[in-house]
Amino acid sequence: MKKYFFLVFITLSLTACRKEKDTYEGVSIQELYSDFLLLDNFKVDKDSVDFANGENATFSAKFNKPVNWTITITGQTSKARKIITGQSKTIDISNGKWNGSTTDFPMFTKEHCVALLKIENVVDSFTVSTNIKTLKVNPGFVIADFENGFNPAWTKFVQSGANMDFNIKSDSLCPQGAKYLKMAGTVNWDYLIGLIDFPATAYGTAKTFPLNTNPDNVYFNCLIYGVPNTNESIILFQFKEDEDGNGTYNNATTDDQYDYQITVNWSGWKLISIKYSDLVSLSNGQPTTPHGNSIHNPNKLAKISMLHLANPSNGFASSKLDYIIFTDAPLEP
Amino acid sequence: MMNLKRSFALLASVFILNSAVAQQQRMVDFVGGARSIMTNNQLLVRDSLADTSTVKRNTGGYALIDLGVNIRPNSTTEILGTFRIRNNYGGFWGAGVTVDVRELWLKGIIGNIVRYQVGDLNLKQTPFTFYNHHADRFDSLPSIFSLQNDIVRYEHFYSNNTWRSQGANVNFGFSFSRGLEEINFNAYTTRLKASNFSTIPDRLFSGATVNVVQSNHFEINYNLATVFDVKGTATATNNFHNTVNTFNTSYGATIGAFDWKISGEAGESNYAYSEAPDTADLIDYFIYVKGEINWKAKHLSINGGYLNVGPDFRSIGAQSKDVNYSALTNYYERYTNSQSLRPYSLYDLLNNDAIYNTEISTETAHIDASVNNVMPYGIATFNRVGGFVGLNYSHPNGFYITATHFKLNEIRGQGTTSLKDFTSTELNACVEVNKFLNLKNTIKVQGGSTYMTSVRIGNISLEDVDLKTTKHQVGAEVEVSKGLDLLFGIVSLSSKGNEFIAERNIYTVADYFNKVEYKLNQSFTAYGIRYRFDSKIYICGLFQHTKYADGFHTNVDYAVDQFSLIYNMTF
Repeated sequence: MKKYFFLVFITLSLTACRKEKDTYEGVSIQELYSDFLLLDNFKVDKDSVDFANGENATFSAKFNKPVNWTITITGQTSKARKIITGQSKTIDISNGKWNGSTTDFPMFTKEHCVALLKIENVVDSFTVSTNIKTLKVNPGFVIADFENGFNPAWTKFVQSGANMDFNIKSDSLCPQGAKYLKMAGTVNWDYLIGLIDFPATAYGTAKTFPLNTNPDNVYFNCLIYGVPNTNESIILFQFKEDEDGNGTYNNATTDDQYDYQITVNWSGWKLISIKYSDLVSLSNGQPTTPHGNSIHNPNKLAKISMLHLANPSNGFASSKLDYIIFTDAPLEP
Repeated sequence: MMNLKRSFALLASVFILNSAVAQQQRMVDFVGGARSIMTNNQLLVRDSLADTSTVKRNTGGYALIDLGVNIRPNSTTEILGTFRIRNNYGGFWGAGVTVDVRELWLKGIIGNIVRYQVGDLNLKQTPFTFYNHHADRFDSLPSIFSLQNDIVRYEHFYSNNTWRSQGANVNFGFSFSRGLEEINFNAYTTRLKASNFSTIPDRLFSGATVNVVQSNHFEINYNLATVFDVKGTATATNNFHNTVNTFNTSYGATIGAFDWKISGEAGESNYAYSEAPDTADLIDYFIYVKGEINWKAKHLSINGGYLNVGPDFRSIGAQSKDVNYSALTNYYERYTNSQSLRPYSLYDLLNNDAIYNTEISTETAHIDASVNNVMPYGIATFNRVGGFVGLNYSHPNGFYITATHFKLNEIRGQGTTSLKDFTSTELNACVEVNKFLNLKNTIKVQGGSTYMTSVRIGNISLEDVDLKTTKHQVGAEVEVSKGLDLLFGIVSLSSKGNEFIAERNIYTVADYFNKVEYKLNQSFTAYGIRYRFDSKIYICGLFQHTKYADGFHTNVDYAVDQFSLIYNMTF
């Protein structure tokens, strides 16, 4: 038993004085709560950026303490905005890199851009400018950006309601390129206002879209505009697979159909992205079992249908659509 | 409604089964409880402009039954499934009715040697491996506050410092005729998180204890608690592990009129992500030693000890908090004309199950320095070294008193090389007046106080910390006639001073310090009348008044009045 006490005594003696007097955890409080100083000016590494060839613009600055900062890059012509935020003592390639992408639509054009750096709780702000030489390229398969009008191989159906407008427009609201699709009208007897079928054959001779076989590596993206102070639109995308490869989608017997229903309850443009494997089969808006092998096969996708819907009792509904594209990761426009 | 019908059909089948077998052997029992709460609430907002945006009055409540079916198909197997049927008042024709499975486990004995349990488990090991410390709980709470606080504990399966888990647990032991008395083994594995097959892998929590009992006087244990991600269960490859190895031991003996005992635990931890920066790979140790002397003849025991928990000691099983200070209150959640979030008050801490966790967290739980800044994770709080003393007096005539005092300081500075000093002094007492006066009916008076300080003299005045928290509670319970009790209680909490609260990243490393200043005064008063049909059934009417006042006006002052009618039974 003496050994037991001796062991306890030795242990306590060894550890009792444990104090780390010369080190501390985290950032220095003295530094954190001192007055803000800009140690290195806010800069951008390129006057002109060739985004299409993989170049990035890198912003840099150095402060005397960790701060919450926001860089807002604004296209002087398009008014597109990219916002980068962080909490650090320095801005550098690890946290201040811009690849030409957009946060607030429209997307950037070849234009002069001004970047504004704001620091939380600091009155002063700092600016630098750069130019977009070429636009960012989004790798993927574009279903429709409406830049070349309607593809004659697409099928369009529009109800004969009141104030119907299912046409391609070109105005300042356009989020990508110069054109987008406007969908509007009053149909007081049916949810359907209009639809467009995008068959795979419209893009070449193949019966299916050239997509990856792995549904986890395929993302469906598009830009949708909610019109302020207008009744809710519902946009329904139907993804129709040709399971048996006979060139025809047959919902009733052997083929899968997956759906993505979007209730447009916001104002302005919004990016919609969904992984192909997350698509579900719907019947009247409720999940159901598809009629084929119930396996997501993006490489067997034969046709996409886009339906613009609205509650008939609500009256006029309107929304806009642009840049329908498949990518292998969520679109960063 | 289909679920409801299925559940009723299932319950009916079980009743029939029970009736059929009752004549032969009692193989099926029903256990559970029922509860009904009706409340009438009123919020009072003390803003400079009258709050016209918040609905101040509301009524509500619910009725529920927990029906547990305990089945013993043979002498070595036992199954329990508890269904919960709950109906919010105002819901009718099935609307508002929910049917859930609240509890499901199976246990038994293999070969008369190995005991096992699968399904829901209530688990704990030691205070440094896997333990629910309830660090912010008010000790010696007056009876009137226990009524609703017990409901919170029941809802979250808090019992004896356990955490609710789902998995498997086995234990077995060997007895010896000489040298050692017995060796016992206990092991468990539970799933903390299910994989989403991409970013989140399956996360398991496993542990084991080997208990060696030499005699009634001496025993020693080895404990392992480890949390780890199962590789390959997600496409993400940044896998987490937190392993804690400890030894704990105790030695006790009787010398003259005194029973004395020395116990302790020591161990080390490793907390890391496979792809995290090196600074996030945390390895550290702890030591805890406690001595106790019990003077039976005088009903007095005293204790004292030493605590040293390293700044990088991480044990998520022991450092998870029951209170989730980031949770929404779900009760007058927003107030004032700007509809800002209502800060939680003593009412929420004692009565609101919405801010309590059922599961442990792998990230450092948020603390509230105004409630407990000294040991927010109990004695497993990292970065603390110091000593403590305590006293217990328990007179058979119904007078109980407990006192503890902790004197601790930091091991490593937080944002400065200056270290904080902490003290916590707690005194609780209870007098069963009827025992003193030899009365038949219960008359009980309870009281207690806690005083906590956190002080840092910084290298410069900016780094100074001076925070004082005071808690008081007083209550009484008077049985005016058989089974009929009058209840009263008041609890207060005040916090004054300043502190820098560490913001910790997902690796639990501090990367920011938020300066906070407190001038908070809170109180919670309750009056009630209770009728006990028997020891398991009561009905109670309660009036409660909560007051929240912020001297710095960071949050708008408010008060809540609540009348509630509670019917509770267990069977």
